[in-house]
Amino acid sequence: MSSKLPASPLEPRAQDGAPKKKKILVPKVENGHETMVEIEVDDVAGPEWGPREKLRLLNHEFVRVDAVDKVTGRARYTHDVRLAGMLYAKFVACPLPHAEVRVDLSAAKQVPGVVEARVVRDGEIRFVGQPVAVVAAKTREAAEDGARAIKLDLKPLPFAVTREQSLAANAPEVNRRGNASKPDERGDAAEVTAAFARCAAAIEATYSVPVQHHACLETHGAVVDVPSNDAATVYHSTQATFASAGEFKGPLKVSDVEVINEHMGGGFGSKFEAGVEGRVASELARDLKVPIHLMLSRKDEFLAAGNRSGCTATVKLGGTQDGKLVALSASVDRFGGLGGGSHAGLPYIYSVETSHRSMRSVYTHLDGNRAMRAPGHPQASFAMESALDELAYALGVDLVEIRKRNVGDVHAKQLERAAREIGWAEHPHKSKPDLSDAVVKVGIGFGLSQWGGGGHPECRVTVDIAPDGGVRATVGSQDLGTGVRTYVAAIVAEELGLPLGGVTARIGRTSYGPANASGGSVTTASLAPAVKHAAFNAKRSLLEALAKTLASAPDELVLDTQGVYDARSKRRLSWKDACATLPPAGISAVGEWQANLASNGVHGAQAAKVRVDTRTGEIQVVKMVCVQDCGLPLNRTGVRSQIFGGMIQALSYALFEERVIEPDLGLALNANFEDYKLAASREIPEMVAILDDDDTRGVIGMAEATIVPGHSAIANAIHNACGVRLRSMPLTCDKLLLGLAALKKG
Amino acid sequence: MENKSHGGVDLSRRGFLKSAGGLAAGGALGQGATAAASAGLLGDGVERASGEVEIELTLNGTKRKVKVEPRTTLLSVLRHRVEPALTGTKEVCDMGSCGACTVHVDSKPAYACLLLAIDCQGKAITTIEGLAQGDTLHPVQQAFCEHDALMCGFCTPGFVMALSACLDAKPNATLDELKEACAGNVCRCGTYPHVFQAAVAAQRAKQAGGAR
Repeated sequence: MSSKLPASPLEPRAQDGAPKKKKILVPKVENGHETMVEIEVDDVAGPEWGPREKLRLLNHEFVRVDAVDKVTGRARYTHDVRLAGMLYAKFVACPLPHAEVRVDLSAAKQVPGVVEARVVRDGEIRFVGQPVAVVAAKTREAAEDGARAIKLDLKPLPFAVTREQSLAANAPEVNRRGNASKPDERGDAAEVTAAFARCAAAIEATYSVPVQHHACLETHGAVVDVPSNDAATVYHSTQATFASAGEFKGPLKVSDVEVINEHMGGGFGSKFEAGVEGRVASELARDLKVPIHLMLSRKDEFLAAGNRSGCTATVKLGGTQDGKLVALSASVDRFGGLGGGSHAGLPYIYSVETSHRSMRSVYTHLDGNRAMRAPGHPQASFAMESALDELAYALGVDLVEIRKRNVGDVHAKQLERAAREIGWAEHPHKSKPDLSDAVVKVGIGFGLSQWGGGGHPECRVTVDIAPDGGVRATVGSQDLGTGVRTYVAAIVAEELGLPLGGVTARIGRTSYGPANASGGSVTTASLAPAVKHAAFNAKRSLLEALAKTLASAPDELVLDTQGVYDARSKRRLSWKDACATLPPAGISAVGEWQANLASNGVHGAQAAKVRVDTRTGEIQVVKMVCVQDCGLPLNRTGVRSQIFGGMIQALSYALFEERVIEPDLGLALNANFEDYKLAASREIPEMVAILDDDDTRGVIGMAEATIVPGHSAIANAIHNACGVRLRSMPLTCDKLLLGLAALKKG
Repeated sequence: MENKSHGGVDLSRRGFLKSAGGLAAGGALGQGATAAASAGLLGDGVERASGEVEIELTLNGTKRKVKVEPRTTLLSVLRHRVEPALTGTKEVCDMGSCGACTVHVDSKPAYACLLLAIDCQGKAITTIEGLAQGDTLHPVQQAFCEHDALMCGFCTPGFVMALSACLDAKPNATLDELKEACAGNVCRCGTYPHVFQAAVAAQRAKQAGGAR
């Protein structure tokens, strides 16, 4: 990595002149799933973030550099790309979960405006919503007409869309290796059985979460320009701009693909691949020699663009009288459709002396799950936090105390802070739910989060300083909406003593230089250090050049917000005047990842307060609190936005979201925003996001941690309010009313 | 959203006409013929159109000629049928459940996906591109920037149009009314707390400035 950079006199060298190396562990993410790998990096003194109190922009609140583009409609997303002669393509999907399909294109080809109709896939179709044909037409409306004119000859085949159907004795074969994977076992079952004998109390229950959709507002898709001279340009809504470029080469039959992704309307883990939409758009552009606009319809998006897998987890958990967790056994089934599903495992976050768990995938005729913001973690959180709460009540231990007893110091401190903010001290029901006859009741619940969020060397950033004083930072990274473009500019501005507006950040295309795929919250910790390094190198080059012009020495020159001060001549130059002394080409410096600027492993604690109406079953979340660490926050406003976003997605998951497939017909019932409900303005509680400033580490990604525990805290708060334990999400009023009725009967 | 919030346009016709257009095209398949463009009055004062006809729309204060079919929605016109395209108005659900395509029709908020373009003749249509006056942002736009009321930004134009229409019509709207004004808008990133802050800040700025 650093070998490409000019050697610096500041860097200590090994005897042979090569930089010394050291080994470090960094997260590596593939398709949104994170594992730790050991890599070797140069052991050199590089830039540092410096003391926080000296930071002028970073760790402060500032406005996104692309905010004006986004509030005026100027920001261009893939959906918005318009190329001369472009055709609009539209998929036709199989409406059945399992069928033999023959496609008749003849009528579609006669529809006015339709230029091409093709089979995407025929024969055996294995999930509801699988694209089987495509139409390309001159207008959107003509593409719809063409899609409607395609005739599908469907021969229904036996299917399984539920766990029960998939595991039934006479079930159709969903997966050649069996409808359930071989269970993955961890721990010693016999030891755990013995450990339960030592417990003062134990609880056992089954918890389930449904399949959730990413529901990116910008659907998946690409606009593919006509390839020429062995090269092509693709506009792609992707979390992995660079991987995407490689994927498009094959179907376009070119060796050079530029991917452009200036802005994107959400990804949340679902946009790592070019997908069938990317492949088909490429083939059409290549064959028809016209640009193709192929963005999934909303229904296609719901059925064929990934999801968060559901699961059921049967958990037995036992502890000592004072709430120390002693034994856990768990059996987990993941539901990822044709995919394996994801689950972070149990126990989750909390230490349990002895545990055994068995986990498997149960396959169904539904599209495969994809990574979704903290894949597998919210599922694990729901079972763990619910079981822990049930045990606390069984033991009569305070809900905060039992959590603190089984986690490390950072989590314990964060829990105390969250408890204070939600009003735990004043709350009367700390170890027993409110079983009074009150009609409207209030409860509080808690949950913890964790995530990696470390970085790795992949980004190359260029910082250019022009003689007119203009500064440009360039790197190919995508911005999912997290604020990448903004912190790229801010880090450079901080280093060079400039206002935020003094730096232009250029991102979102492969020709701007390599960057990581944005999954596993690794972007900040991977990219920010490289930006800092590039700015640091640019500053050094600038001072070296100035030292020559001013007959001074680089060490004598100080660059700050007032410009450059030469300690030798006691002369001061404004930024503009200093840059004016540069040669016409200005300065160009490159930066790469620096291990010392990033760290890994974030923690969070959340609390929720809910109000339940025992007559109607209405559940209203009235307040949510999150205490979150993230090393050095780059833009405090942006971090707070991310925290709110994670909490709101968890609230939405808790109360509303569920993919509904009719089990007898296998039809998708809510593949639209009318029937698949997302939390909106009426459901948003008072929200508090607290950045844990005790964390003095380098930058770490935190976005995924924030979605992990909110729904668990809400479920716990409902029980705390009225004594009804909802073990199956979404947490709806009908389930609550049934629970209240059962409670009354005793 | 209720019909009355769409400037008096009867939205229930849209679904019918959209599918009627589809049927017409389907019916023409056998003959391989295209529906002849025609538009005119049949003596009962009601304008009828079939095939593609040219109409005039007032978009952001400018009269624009545009070719549409009877079933063409205002959203389709904005995004696909004017040059340069007005793509600030987003297509997300195309069925009136997300608010991403909110525009102003005669100063009232409306979902462009639920309006037929031919019904918009003679009405003043403002899109997100036409909300600022030159370089001066509308107070709602300004406040959205300052309060980080956006992340990926795909829902942002819809929220800005919904809230600006509310505040322009009702300068003293309560926070509850502001939340109601954007209750039909969906944000997946979860910007709501900052959206509410921005709405209140925009209201204060409007009251202090009084300019707009």
